[in-house]
Amino acid sequence: MEWISFLEKWIWLGFAAVGFAVLFNVPIRTLWVIFLLGALGGSLKFLTMKLGGGIILGSFFGAMLVGFLSIYAAHFRHAPPFVFAIPSVIPMVPGAFAYRMMLGIIRLTGDVDPSVYETLMHDTVNNGLKALFVLMALSLGVSAPMLLFRRESAKEIKVIKIEELIKK
Amino acid sequence: MSYRNKEFFYFADPNFITPMDNPNIKPIRELSKILLEVGSLLMASGANSARIRTTIMRIAEGFGYNAELLITHRALMLTIFDDESDYYQSSLKRTSPHGANFRMVSGISRMSWHVVEENWTFEQIWNEINRLKSLPHFPRIIILATVALAGASFCRLFGGGVVEMLVAYVATFCGLFVRQEAVKKGFNAYLCIFFASFTSCLIAGSSVKFQLGTTPEHAFATSVLYLIPGIPLINSLSDLLDGNIMNGLVRGMNGLMIAFAIALGMLCAILIYNF
Repeated sequence: MEWISFLEKWIWLGFAAVGFAVLFNVPIRTLWVIFLLGALGGSLKFLTMKLGGGIILGSFFGAMLVGFLSIYAAHFRHAPPFVFAIPSVIPMVPGAFAYRMMLGIIRLTGDVDPSVYETLMHDTVNNGLKALFVLMALSLGVSAPMLLFRRESAKEIKVIKIEELIKK
Repeated sequence: MSYRNKEFFYFADPNFITPMDNPNIKPIRELSKILLEVGSLLMASGANSARIRTTIMRIAEGFGYNAELLITHRALMLTIFDDESDYYQSSLKRTSPHGANFRMVSGISRMSWHVVEENWTFEQIWNEINRLKSLPHFPRIIILATVALAGASFCRLFGGGVVEMLVAYVATFCGLFVRQEAVKKGFNAYLCIFFASFTSCLIAGSSVKFQLGTTPEHAFATSVLYLIPGIPLINSLSDLLDGNIMNGLVRGMNGLMIAFAIALGMLCAILIYNF
């Protein structure tokens, strides 16, 4: 039963990524790759969170998977890796945390009861910090392959082709 | 002899070569025009600073010139120099914020490799730039439908049921439509986002007010997620990571302003429904 719900999440994650990809006007040949990358990255995030990793670590692993796969996708579909990576990672962007923080800040400007103020302040700071750290984890994860391979372009990174592996 | 005549003789001197006669100048001018056009297109399409820099350097090196580039959020400054004739060309171009267009980024990246590997001429590059500019966007109804589907997917991921998903779908669809119309009318960019967020929250909020479905709060919370400033925020952090601190801060501030506009729209809807 758990696996069925996991599979269902997989599909919705993919659609969320494709929605943003269409909004960003990506080339049509990359759309299904973005569906796969978004679904895989999001699944890894949920898996990490289920194993007790927390949202920040989960986002980091998810984004790192997307980052590495986007290098493969760039060689295979001929587009810069970030065209694949950004729409796939956007569903993981902590948008809800960011606007909740803003909502909290706007509410803090009003005349708030001191007892409510404490919880409101706590929520606002917590949401803001989570948004910041999840974002840092995402961009670090997406650029991890570039940082590790120390190349300026993904074209210079050697990718092991599947056919070559089979020949060996 | 007046000053004017003196100047005349100065230029009439056959041994004097004016800068205009230098045969190396014309290609440098043409190249700087191309590079600035490419840079401003990349900036408007949502590329990060490191990508703009590498692409421009790659094209300049393809033609055998050295280039230096200053990237800011609203303008690009470029200096090209030719060691042989000791000639510098500096130029400045304003960039216009348009919104993400990854088809353009992908096309320009491919073009830059064609320049290096196949020695493209200036004319071929201009043709390719014009072709990329005229590439069609997705049809409007498809954009609206898929982005609304993404909104419904978010709602499902947050734990909403079928009714909530439907509410999120309608709210996203209408909100994005309002945003596109506002952009067409030429409103301020943040105001467009405010209108969209307000519309989405009004529609999704009505389901909370009338208690449609089991957890209408999920529909309300996810109905504005299509507006989140994903590209500004991710580009901001990747610029900061890359050492372009100024650009990173500017992009991050832009992202925060968008988040503020979304929150303001939500707040207005909340005040109207008095949750």
